[in-house]
Order: sequence, then structure tokens, then C-alpha cells
Amino acid sequence: MAIAFYILALLIIVSALGVISMKNPIHSAMCLIVTFLGVAGIFATLEAHFLATVQIIIYAGAIMVLVMFVIMLLNLKYEANTTLDYLFWIIGAVGCIAFVAITSQLFLNSMLVPLDYQAGSVGTVANIGRVLFTKYVFAFEAAGILIMAAIVGSIVVAKSVKGREE
Amino acid sequence: MEILILLLKAFIVMQVVLGLASFCTWVERKGSALIQDRIGANRAGAYWQPESVLLKPIAVFVRIFGMLGVINTLLNDAIKGLFKEDFVPEGTSNFMHCLGPFMAVLPVFLAFSVIPLAPDFALFGYQIRPQVAELHTGVLFVLAMGSIAVYGVVLAGWFGNNKFSLLGALRAAAQMISYELALGVAVATLVISYGTLDLYAIIESQKGFNWGINPLVNPTGLVTFVILFVVGMAETKRAPFDLPESESELVAGYFTEYSGMKWLLFWLGEFAEIALFSAILVVFFFGGWQMPFLELPENVWWAALLGHAIFMGKILFFCVLQIVIRWTLPRFRYDQLMNLGWKILLPLSFVNLVVTAAIELI
Amino acid sequence: MVSLSSYLILSATLFAIGTLGFIIRRNALVVFMCVELMLNSVNIAFVAFARAHGNLDGEISVFFVMVVAAAEAAIGLAIVIALFRNIQSVETSDAVELKW
Repeated sequence: MAIAFYILALLIIVSALGVISMKNPIHSAMCLIVTFLGVAGIFATLEAHFLATVQIIIYAGAIMVLVMFVIMLLNLKYEANTTLDYLFWIIGAVGCIAFVAITSQLFLNSMLVPLDYQAGSVGTVANIGRVLFTKYVFAFEAAGILIMAAIVGSIVVAKSVKGREE
Repeated sequence: MEILILLLKAFIVMQVVLGLASFCTWVERKGSALIQDRIGANRAGAYWQPESVLLKPIAVFVRIFGMLGVINTLLNDAIKGLFKEDFVPEGTSNFMHCLGPFMAVLPVFLAFSVIPLAPDFALFGYQIRPQVAELHTGVLFVLAMGSIAVYGVVLAGWFGNNKFSLLGALRAAAQMISYELALGVAVATLVISYGTLDLYAIIESQKGFNWGINPLVNPTGLVTFVILFVVGMAETKRAPFDLPESESELVAGYFTEYSGMKWLLFWLGEFAEIALFSAILVVFFFGGWQMPFLELPENVWWAALLGHAIFMGKILFFCVLQIVIRWTLPRFRYDQLMNLGWKILLPLSFVNLVVTAAIELI
Repeated sequence: MVSLSSYLILSATLFAIGTLGFIIRRNALVVFMCVELMLNSVNIAFVAFARAHGNLDGEISVFFVMVVAAAEAAIGLAIVIALFRNIQSVETSDAVELKW
């Protein structure tokens, strides 16, 4: 159990570093897919079964396909590096390490609730469905309207000017 | 010991999938020949006459298999694929070029890990369930693998590094993601009828005559079956939805630049997907390993074997059905395909969902 | 036994990596991908806390974050396509002029 978490955490961090550092955007997208699969694994170690599968379906299966479509349609290649970029990377890396160090001090020195298994709180589909449709039904309907607005909006924005004049 | 059982289960399931895919390959070659009123492959190994007495009985079987085209399809094609030149187009690295077939085959094998192949049985004191991954959310996992299958196509087309591959890949990807919507809604309808996402529990609940396609048990089962059948043929890019392969139009579509073993991997993935999709249909609608008049004793190893044989028989029936349909119907045009997916199947599956939910409430 | 703080440190690291990429990279699509990284890190933190408190509210929040991320992906990529149509580039350093 702990082994699974550490392997997945290593996988996530290595592929996230790959996302931000690869020059070819298609390679970045593929590293991001690996990151998403790793995050789905982390959800599975936390016994959130529904979320793990939905993570694969939505993020790795739909959003990344969309991103890859756009990269392929726009035929994007490499991004040029200026000399100032290396300085930014070094400053940024120092900032990231400082951020993680400070926040981890917060976590490690406080009395956090330990992770333990409580029956009824495991994220099976039945449990999530029960909470989603009783306590959060309004937010659920609002999410549906949001998705509809996104569909209509993206078609309107991405249509070419000739298409919009029709 | 648990890990050993798991590894053994994974190995057996892999062999089952490869066996089903090989059988489908052979049926495709010989069956297409019979449908098209020709003979097909029957030369390799059909004339073997050994002199030694030991080999003569084996030679009879080898000659029969050879005349049926089995040796030609299963042995010769594999050797030919292995020894062809492994061509990588310029501008692509070998690793990226291999990712296409890899991502095309991986989701299919993963999805087979949640399909139970036989009833529970007990052996030497261990209770074994012939399902590699006993997930509560088996159905959702199969949907997730269907979503990942798009990557094989997309990556294959892009790393082929030419316009025709890319065009075929984007068309295929658009087709697959359009039909995924109807697939999701149809599967949601089935989940409403069965009340569970666990594939083993779904099969167990179809005892006797309670098959999923029985209108008395499942009033909208027939409509859901038709929707799922059409969507499955579109997802696996089989004719009449095989515009991505388009053997007469786009050279070979998204796998133009693949030869040898990588190309064989694509075909293996396609036939394994046909087997996967047949297995899904049998699990949801035709009772898995249950037969109406057969009451098998629980937890016995020979009942599990018989159940497995029944399951394989039903899967093979649907594989043959899909192959016959492929060689019978002409291809859809691209706009007809999109029309069918978005304007006909999707509203139909929504109406089906609402009607099923209404019937379940009553 | 993995403690809650391990999950939170992972979440913080992923968030920091995402922010670094968001600030430094100029390709609009890579910037979008770094936003997705940040959202995923927050998702991990949500689910870890949900499991720790025995509540499913955190997992519902993750569900809605995923919905919003999907909607944002659709519209954001449409905007990138429209931008490319006008300035023939997706680099953020090329989109510096307002309409004249």
C-alpha cells in the first residue's frame, strides 16, 4: 500500500517535470497523460474508486484528446529559447523548493487527523451518488448548465468568421 | 500465494485474449473468402507428406489445418510480420513510432482484466474468482479503456509524419469520441436496469431465463442492445464504420507508415477489440456463462470450466457475426457516420435512458 | 501506513511545478496544461482530506472541479484556435497588441 503511493508519487512528479520542460508540445501532452494516470492511481490508493475512473475518462480520455487535436491541427513545433529563460528556470526552481519546504513544515508540525478507514465514507459510486443527489443536487444541475454554456461558447468562438456570418 | 494466483490469472486471460484474436483473424480470412465466393488461403502445410512413421498421424492434422487456412493465417503471417524491415519514417524517433501500436493494444488487454471469464470455484482450499481485477466499478473501467483507445489512433497518425496519416487519424479520432457519448449513455441505461457496476454481479443476476435481452426482465433491453451493437462497431472502427482504414481511399489511413510487427500489433488490437466488445455484449445481454436450462453446481472446478466454455462459445458467435457484417455491408460516408452518431444514436439513447428510468421507478 | 501529510506534500509539489511551468512557458497550450496540473494537485488534496475526515464532501468537490476543468478546456482551446487564426502563433509573447 505504501509502496504503491511512493511509486505513483515519483511517477507523478517526474512526468510533471516533463510537462513543464519538454520543448515539443506533443511530448508535454504525453507526459501530462502519464501524470493524469498517476493521479488516478493516487485516488485509487485513497479508495475513491469512482473518482479514479472518472479521472481517466474525463482528463486522460477527453481533455487530453482535445489538447492533442488542437496541437495537431495547428501543427505546432518547437518553442524557441531565449538566453533569459535559463535564469528564470533557476529562480523558479528555488522558489518552488522554498514553497514546498515551508508548506511541508506546516503539515508536519501540526496535529492532522490521521487517515483511517471509516465505513460509509469510502468513495464507491453508490455513496457518492447518494451525497451528490441529495445534498448537492443544486450544484449538480448548475454544473449541467455550465457544461451546456461551455459547449455553445466553444462552438461560437472557434467557428471561423465566414461561418459566423451565416 | 495471492500474488502467484494473480499472475496466473493474468497470464491465462492474456492467452485467452490472444487465442480469441487469432481465431478472429482466421475467421476473417476464411470467412471473407467464403462470403466473396472464393477459396481463400489453403496452401501452406496442405501438402506435407513426411516419410517417417512417427510423424504420419500428426501430418494428417497438419494437412487438415493447412487446407483450412489456419497455418497460413496464424503461422505464416506472424513470421512474415516478424521478419519485415522495421521502418521508422524520418522526423520521428523509434520510441514515438512504437507508441501508436502500444496505445492501440494496451486498453484492450486492460479492459479484459475486469471481465469475469467463468464462475467462482474453489481449488485446493483457495477461493478463486476468474477475474483479474475484481473492481466494484468494472463497467466504468471498461468505459475508461474505451476512452484511452483513441490515443492509439491519434498518436499513430501524428507520428507517421505525413498528411494522409494525420487526416485519417483525426477522422478516426473524431468518429471514436462521437460514438463514445452514445456508448456512455447506453451503458448508463444498463446500469439503471441492473443496479450495480460489478460485472460479476451483473452476470450472476441473469440466472435462468433472466437474460438481459429478455423483454420481460428488461423492457428496453432490445433497443439498448441495438444501440450498443452499432456503437461498438463504430468504436472498434469495423465496417460499415471503417472509414479510418478506408482501404480504397486513404492509402491505409492512420497506419500507413507502419509495417511488420507494428502493423500486426494494430490488427491484433483490432481483433482483440472485437472480442472485447463481443464479451461486453454477452456479459450485459446474454447471460455470460448462464444457460436457461442448465443449473450448474456452485464452486466446483468443472462447473467453472463448463461455464467458461459456454462463455467462449457465445463470444465467438458474436465475433463471427461482426465479421460477417463487415464483409456484407458497404462503408458509410463520413457525414453519414457523424449524422448517425450525433443526430440519431445520441437522442435515441437519451430517450431510452429516460424510458428505462421511468420503468424502473414503477 | 501513508499519512495525510505525504499526500499534502505531493499536492504542494505538484502545485509548485504547475505554477513554475505556468509562469515560464510561453506556448499557450503548455500553459493550459500547467493549469490542469495545478487543478489536479488541488484534487489530490481534496480527496486526501475527504478520506481523513470520513466525509464525502471533498470527493464531490473534486467532481465539480473536474466538470469545471472540462468546460474550461473546451472554451480555452477554442480561444487558442481563434487566437491562432488572427496572429498565426500560439506564443503568449506574440499576443501583445490590442486591436488598433
